[in-house]
Amino acid sequence: MIGLNDSCLTGLAHQSVNNPECSDSKTGPGATAKTTLQALTSAALVLPGLLLSPAQAASISTDSVSFQYNRYQEGKRNLYNVSSNLDPIRVDVVHGSGNFTFHDRVKFSFSYTQDTWSGATPVTSAPLVANGNRPILANSPDGVITVGASPLVNTRVLLDQNLNPLKLTPEGGQVVDPRTVLILSSASPETRNQANFRLGYEWNEAAVNAGGGFSLENDYESSYGNLSGRLDFNQKLTSLKFGAGYTSSQTSAILDPDLLPYLTRTAYTNQIERRDGSEILRGDRQDWTATLGLTQVLGKNSLFDTNIGYTHSSGFMENPYKAMTVIFINPEFINPDANTPIVGDARALLEQRPNIRNQLALSSKYVQHISPLDAALHLNYQFSFGDWGINAHTFEADWVQPLGHGWTITPRIRYYSQDSADFYQPYLISNQAFRKTATDASGRQIWVDANNPSEQFFRNGNGNFFDTDGNPVDATELNLQPQLVSFDAAKLPQNFSSDHRLSGFGALSGGVILNKRFSKGVELEAAFEYYTRASSLKLGGSGHNSFADFDFYVANAAIKVDMEAIHSRMNVATGRDHAHHDHGQQHAHGASPVPAGIMFGHMLDNPGELMVGYRFMYSRQAGDMLRGAHQVSDLAIVNEGCSDVILCRFTHTEMNMKMHMLDIMYAPTRWLNLMIMPQFMDMDMNLRELAGRPPRDPGVHEHTGTGGHTTGGVGDTILSSLIKLYEIPGHRLHVGLGISAPTGKVDLKMRRMFQVDGGLFHFDMQLGSGTWDFLPNLTYSGTSNRWYWGGQLYGVKRMESSNESGYRLGDIFQASAWGGYHLSNWLAASVRGVYTYRDRIHGDFNKFNARIGPMDFPANHGGQYWDIGIGVNASVPSGKFAGNHFAFEWVQPLRDDVNGFQLEREGALSATWHYSF
Amino acid sequence: MLSLMMAMKITRFAVIFILLLIIFALAGCVQVAPWERGNLAKPHMALDPHPLQSAVQAHNYGSREAAASTNSAGGGGGCGCF
Repeated sequence: MIGLNDSCLTGLAHQSVNNPECSDSKTGPGATAKTTLQALTSAALVLPGLLLSPAQAASISTDSVSFQYNRYQEGKRNLYNVSSNLDPIRVDVVHGSGNFTFHDRVKFSFSYTQDTWSGATPVTSAPLVANGNRPILANSPDGVITVGASPLVNTRVLLDQNLNPLKLTPEGGQVVDPRTVLILSSASPETRNQANFRLGYEWNEAAVNAGGGFSLENDYESSYGNLSGRLDFNQKLTSLKFGAGYTSSQTSAILDPDLLPYLTRTAYTNQIERRDGSEILRGDRQDWTATLGLTQVLGKNSLFDTNIGYTHSSGFMENPYKAMTVIFINPEFINPDANTPIVGDARALLEQRPNIRNQLALSSKYVQHISPLDAALHLNYQFSFGDWGINAHTFEADWVQPLGHGWTITPRIRYYSQDSADFYQPYLISNQAFRKTATDASGRQIWVDANNPSEQFFRNGNGNFFDTDGNPVDATELNLQPQLVSFDAAKLPQNFSSDHRLSGFGALSGGVILNKRFSKGVELEAAFEYYTRASSLKLGGSGHNSFADFDFYVANAAIKVDMEAIHSRMNVATGRDHAHHDHGQQHAHGASPVPAGIMFGHMLDNPGELMVGYRFMYSRQAGDMLRGAHQVSDLAIVNEGCSDVILCRFTHTEMNMKMHMLDIMYAPTRWLNLMIMPQFMDMDMNLRELAGRPPRDPGVHEHTGTGGHTTGGVGDTILSSLIKLYEIPGHRLHVGLGISAPTGKVDLKMRRMFQVDGGLFHFDMQLGSGTWDFLPNLTYSGTSNRWYWGGQLYGVKRMESSNESGYRLGDIFQASAWGGYHLSNWLAASVRGVYTYRDRIHGDFNKFNARIGPMDFPANHGGQYWDIGIGVNASVPSGKFAGNHFAFEWVQPLRDDVNGFQLEREGALSATWHYSF
Repeated sequence: MLSLMMAMKITRFAVIFILLLIIFALAGCVQVAPWERGNLAKPHMALDPHPLQSAVQAHNYGSREAAASTNSAGGGGGCGCF
């Protein structure tokens, strides 16, 4: 009976005392057998999952870190009569996150996301007959070909008396063509960074969390905070969840200079700031959210979850890059003859959305365990509606099927349907002139002096001008022009948008998620989803906007490292071998720390050992322009920095490069390590006009880049092996033989502007080398008491003569020597001297590049560089986070001796984290 | 200002939600002892078995669709101005 009581007590650790199972077994027949069984099952309760409420399990993550790469790729839009070579939207996303528990009850999690997007986006939609996507033609050896399409938003449209767009055909004259088309505009790449954190505290039957974060991109910034909580009831079978959040966002969008002359933006005059020839549209927005939810266990094999969410948004909710095509019809010019077409004046107006939005959403989820297959079926339905008139339904079903040996496959299907917003229209027709000559109350046309527009004049039948007092004036002495009045905004709807995301449509998507969990506590995840949006898929009938149909796919891969699982496994292992063994010793490697800026610097010692790491590198160029080792004047750059036939017009004022690298290393044997290191890059550059530059060609637009430009995405991928050559206590030597695969793009182009091809980005803004490269390196490291030291020779040899864009980067040789001191058992500091030789670029762009400054010429790359690095290394010596190593190093340039003309370097930061087990 | 239709919708919405709560209250009578919760504790029975995927999906759908979310911990996500 003691066992019984114990088991009940154990099982009841978080339950009420009147558990029927316990009371039954005290009195019923066969109590002993049941007792034993219950004792065993109760023992299993130490498994934490059984004591968690489902809502708690959903919010808790064990101590873990994860990295994910995601690719979003849209298909081409249908432009009907124009074959566009504009690339569709593509987004590359890198994501890292970590969850940590302190003192069992304090949870901390963070995540960081960086995405870079590029491609063509719809600016507006218009009748197809308006020819809004104007083909850009170019001569080629095969004759004139279409090389692109550019948006043409101000045009004439013929309409019949029922306001249907008319198309002119050679045979039939004017026929109705009701088709609408999206008008696309291309964009150069843009990068966004987002960081989130969350801090939580767990009680036995409750939890609170506080979270926040920010998202930064050039034209949009938002920061947010939220509070949430959970209360468990009913022996943790029921959980109540609640939360509230606030987001503040600021838009500062540089309006597309290509569209600007044709864009009517009078509604936003007070929000537009003019700077350096650009117009910046500013707006603020606030979002408040509140949620309430309930999770209920329905039985041994099923549970239900429901949530209600309210969102109140206010402020600037427009998409600053979307315009509405308004076809203005001047009623004075409508011919009463029904066969005479009406001439419409199509104009693009910046869209106008309401400044308030209230939304309610109800979601419910049912999860059922399918015992014969040990699978889980997740069914999800969500309904949302709001005062913009958009009712949306989402249905989703996931089948999570464990397959054994750590594999899990999850096929999923989703259907979505939404109604159109009240103010969505593909285009508008307004029964008024866009602009007409002004008349006074008695119908006389008003003329004004262009030099003094406040004074009005009139003209009599003889063509003579007179002023408001009727006195004749000498028109030859004045600059008289007809006064024009613009359309009456009050005659347009108060709100309008042609953003097809606000239209009525349906979407069907399906995909699969594959997981493989390894016994070491590492899990790999890969997923694919295909999504198709169609007007005809809308619930209850077509949304009548099939012109906006599109599809996309999403593919991603992730690695997750479960430190908690690793820690418990190691505890079991070490506990079995020798009790009280310090887990942290497993990670000492007997090797000395290596400064963060050194790659390939350390090896794993134990066969079967695995390391997952992350490396961040930031480098910055700014300051003086150099020629060789000395500062150079603008005039010298203009005359000598480019080529004999091209004078330089611009140079860069700063360039920042950031690199995120995943570092996965495995030790099949004691003397060999294998590594794979995918990289993700993003760069930004600002330019300035050189003093004394040649004058602009009149009428030709220049890509100035003075507003800054960015690129980003997947960089090259390194595969390497490390081989131990020599090891005695205190000294070791290893060699690294690696290759770099050209997975980074080298043909990134700037968008077309003003009909001018932007051409390829500068050499340094491309994401990779474009060639297969050989990466040999040799590292020596030594240690004695608290001191450690080392040296490395490192090289990069390009193995191809040129990449697909016609050039190859210079080879690199680098020598480093460092020394350091252990300040404590977890902290060390180091100093490093670095010499780098980098060859110039060979070959040249084989595609168009604007050649505006020294950075566009191969001779202005490479040189010799001397640096000093100051670094710290920290490692967690014991406890559950043992095995985590962190290192930081700032590399300060001492001397640059550059080839040709280059921007001075300001320094570089390296930060690494790795965890080996 | 909320229209009459909106008010009706909210009422209907509230009724559905209250009905759901009542169903839960009834379900609350169900007893599942801790040692019977083995299946519920399996990772694939978690409310969100693939949190990394959920975040990706929420971002993609959020930038392509106009529905509201019931996730207050959201925020950010950027402009999605494409």
